[in-house]
Amino acid sequence: MQTQRDVQNRIGSIKNVEKITRAMEMVAAARLRRAEQRIEALRPYAGAIRRMTRQAAEAAENVPSLPILQEHDEQRRVGLLLVTGDRGLAGAFNSQILRAGLRAASEHESDGRSVVYYASGRRGVSSLTFRGKELAGRYVGFTDRPGYANAREIAEDLMATYVDDEVDVVEIFYNGYISPLRQVVRRETLLPLQRASVMGEEDEEEEEPDRDEPAHTHRALVEYEPEPEEILQRLVPDYVEISVYRALLESTASEHGARMTAMRNASENAGELIEDLTLEMNRARQAEITQEILEVVAGAEGLTG
Amino acid sequence: MAHEKFPVEILSPEGAVWSGEVELLSTRTTTGSIGILANHTPLLAMLDPTELRLYESENDYIKFAQAEGYLQVGGNRALILVEQAHPPEELDAGDLREKLQRAESEIESADEDSEQGRMAARDKDRWETFLRIAEGGG
Repeated sequence: MQTQRDVQNRIGSIKNVEKITRAMEMVAAARLRRAEQRIEALRPYAGAIRRMTRQAAEAAENVPSLPILQEHDEQRRVGLLLVTGDRGLAGAFNSQILRAGLRAASEHESDGRSVVYYASGRRGVSSLTFRGKELAGRYVGFTDRPGYANAREIAEDLMATYVDDEVDVVEIFYNGYISPLRQVVRRETLLPLQRASVMGEEDEEEEEPDRDEPAHTHRALVEYEPEPEEILQRLVPDYVEISVYRALLESTASEHGARMTAMRNASENAGELIEDLTLEMNRARQAEITQEILEVVAGAEGLTG
Repeated sequence: MAHEKFPVEILSPEGAVWSGEVELLSTRTTTGSIGILANHTPLLAMLDPTELRLYESENDYIKFAQAEGYLQVGGNRALILVEQAHPPEELDAGDLREKLQRAESEIESADEDSEQGRMAARDKDRWETFLRIAEGGG
């Protein structure tokens, strides 16, 4: 049986934990709001770049002789970019990316393709290093608030390895932000453009049905200035940068959302625990009082008897 | 004579910059200046830094210092995607001059025909254009 004092100490420490988790929840909520605004501001732009890239790529009759646009003859080496956070305590946020990334990597490997890892966020970097994976690129220190320059740095590295013929495919894994309670792992193919997610069906969330979209016209009727091939030379790098930037922003919003939810749950659990322990403490106190009364009564009886 | 109006939307990675109805939109593609009126043929164009003008009426227009971007016209709407677009009064000439100098020194230090060299040349072109706009020129 625990004494009253033991239980009281535990309640005290849990109350401290609760204070910390509440504070972390509030910080995450404030950061989430900003991250949400940024991703919502970017989505229309990123979606439009995506549609333009697709339109120009479909219109380009012969893919220009730019290395970035060349599909390699064989797909033997895959570059995987895992977008995680710099910090933990965010529920499944980091682990679900790592799990999805590693599962994809083992699929690639069993199909005879080699995998090159890139990671953004300290969590991803340290987990992959711990598992003995060699990282071709590590990007840390900005996941709280990624800037366009961070995305550009990553995108340039990815494009350079592709152009230098060190990888044949580039895939990216990140947490797509849906709500503070819901983040889904997204897997997208960035390069080569011919296989990129941009050329496939758009995900339902992306599709803003026709939204008075200017693009829905037959391509033969569209004028290009300059030729689509030339537009693609600039558009494709922009598309890769924007895609990486979007992944970073989605991931940041997801991270704050996941942390907020995780910390709220932790605070609630702490509250429940405190209630249970308070009950236990009262019981312990009552037991001590009963014990003392029994002793007094027994002593009194001893005197009179 | 008043022209028919058509909707224009300007988007940047930071969000919507401007949206509204205009009679004429004038900007510069990589091949030259271009003016878009209502009912223009569908178009996809690559834009160079310039002064973007949105004519709400014959003589009354809104100006933006516009960076590189893309213009998409179709269904009698125009969509402009730009890395940045600023109203001229938000430009800081001193800051732009500094950026311009940095770009120029980058061009000198970069190898010929390198990616950095091309990037710096694009930067130089952009800051020069912005500076011209900031100083009141067109």
